[in-house]
Amino acid sequence: MEKGDKMAWEHIITEILIWFGLYLIVAISLNIEYGYGGIPNFGRALAVLIGAIAVGGIVNRILIAMFHVTGSFATASGIVKTTVNEMIASNPAFGLALFFLNLLIAGILGVIVGAVFILPSAKLSEDYLAITLLAISEVAFMVSYYNPDIIGGYYGVSTPDVLAFVPGEYRVFVFTAIILVLAFLVYLFAERLLNTPYGRILKAMRENEHVVKAYGRDIMMLRIKTVAIGSGIASIAGALYSMYTANVIASSFSRVEWTFYPFLMILLGGLGNNRGVMAGVFAFVTAKVLLTTYKYEIRNALNLPFEAVWLEYILFGIITLLILYYRPEGLIKERPIVTKPIKVRCRSRFKEH
Amino acid sequence: MSVVEGAIIYANLLVLLAIGLTLTYITTAVPNFAQGSFAVFGSYVALSFLRFFKIHPYISIPFGFIFGGLLGLATYLFVLRPLIKREASIVTLMIATLAWDLILLGIIGAYSGYISKVTHKPGMKFIFTYLDFDIAGVPAIFFVSTLVIALTLAGLLFLLYKTKFGIALRASMENPALAEIMGINVEYTRLFSWFLSGALAGMAGCLLPFKQEIVPATGALIIVSIFASSIVGGLSSIFGALLGGYIVGISESLITYGLSLVFGTGILVYSKVVSLVILVITLLIIPKGLVSIKWRKVIKWLGSTS
Repeated sequence: MEKGDKMAWEHIITEILIWFGLYLIVAISLNIEYGYGGIPNFGRALAVLIGAIAVGGIVNRILIAMFHVTGSFATASGIVKTTVNEMIASNPAFGLALFFLNLLIAGILGVIVGAVFILPSAKLSEDYLAITLLAISEVAFMVSYYNPDIIGGYYGVSTPDVLAFVPGEYRVFVFTAIILVLAFLVYLFAERLLNTPYGRILKAMRENEHVVKAYGRDIMMLRIKTVAIGSGIASIAGALYSMYTANVIASSFSRVEWTFYPFLMILLGGLGNNRGVMAGVFAFVTAKVLLTTYKYEIRNALNLPFEAVWLEYILFGIITLLILYYRPEGLIKERPIVTKPIKVRCRSRFKEH
Repeated sequence: MSVVEGAIIYANLLVLLAIGLTLTYITTAVPNFAQGSFAVFGSYVALSFLRFFKIHPYISIPFGFIFGGLLGLATYLFVLRPLIKREASIVTLMIATLAWDLILLGIIGAYSGYISKVTHKPGMKFIFTYLDFDIAGVPAIFFVSTLVIALTLAGLLFLLYKTKFGIALRASMENPALAEIMGINVEYTRLFSWFLSGALAGMAGCLLPFKQEIVPATGALIIVSIFASSIVGGLSSIFGALLGGYIVGISESLITYGLSLVFGTGILVYSKVVSLVILVITLLIIPKGLVSIKWRKVIKWLGSTS
């Protein structure tokens, strides 16, 4: 194999792993809300954007205040980035502290925003809910894109590199590992969470709200709680992505990338089933990374008179429709939750025979 | 173009889009997330006629109507009907219209690249204001958009209240199961409503570039205002959509303008926030929309308290 080829493959594989980790976190958060709870959160992108705001808008401002940097927000963040990067390079503990601070603030902010943004529609039927969540998310995206005072708008804002102490050529690998570990933790958390009474009531709510109501559960509170948890998780993905690129641009938090694609992934993998979602995310991310990497080759080979990204939209849109038509249960079907009593019972029966 | 004229023009176009959205919601019970892209499709129809055949966008309004209508029909026949036949849930149908919106965005984007390459004129981003002319000191788009609304409403009223088909249509909107028992083909009403919804959006799309710049992703920008208009009106009443469209459209323009006088022009990026706030307030106070208010009771209540 040529050296150039090897580099290209290394690049593709790390890209796939990074996006797999980021999208797995978001897809699982959506699976908790929609796959288990039946809440069609068409505003998933908002929580991811909130994660980016936590890193680029809030922690950045804290750092600017800490180091008494003056000037406009964009230039001040640039200066702070250089200072903080030097400090992290000589003192890795500072970098790690900043990393956890970013995640913490993103998580807390995500939970709060999630709980608040479902409030107006928490009582309403699914269609009103979906419309309102989409509208709020879309408006927040527009405002943070056009207003450079939040996270730098269309110019973007640079943030410190929390891994500045890692030599440049290894940075991407370390970051890939961190993202994968966090994604795995989120996966474990979701599996645990959903095998509790709370997880089972979520499924009950999805199947029939009236029955849940009849048993004295408050649907509105359940929805608020679920979207708060989901948004907190998704927000962590936004923060991770911003720290990875060390540069926040509002335009990278669009509805297509962070609401529609996660829906596609969980539909592809199988609703209400985290293992399936993992398979769905992997299949989607592989396809997307290959499409993005070879977009110029595709464009030249097909002699397209337009950008290949439009082709990507058409393709993923059609795939979604095909899944809805022909395989609504996804790659891996949902299975009943195996609780401890069920396990014990199965085992004792097995012994009897 | 004065601020008030601009506000009315924008509201006129919004009403066309909101009526379309409401029509299909009544017959099919699914909010169409692709309604914004329907309008952008209409804008590109008008652009194509302008670039290839030198036809003024005002003349191509009928073409916008027909092509938009065909797009609406295609949406129902190829995207929604197969799913409805499989008894898919409302959320599945909504995801399908979201996917369709993405497909349309892809097609429109690809076409915009193609048309710029072929005609060597801007296609990724365009505006028609330079084609407009003044009538008695007022831009023609003001009269044209108002005329389109008047004709649309007259047509709808005649169709719904003066024809047999209209009676059948209203019956199947009120109670599809009962209408079907009475021998009305509900399928026809759905086909018709999707055609009309697309057609109205197509006409609005022909006129929208006279008011604002169009890019392939403009649909995502206006969908919030369209939904706000329909929900303010109650989402299932054509009259409500008319009312909601004017309330949202006019307040979006005028409130933002008023605020910009106080806080400076930086506030203009928040115009969609106005729509969102109106939407949220409606959901909190009157979730079933303006048409659900019993005005007699309100008047009585006002009379008893004063």
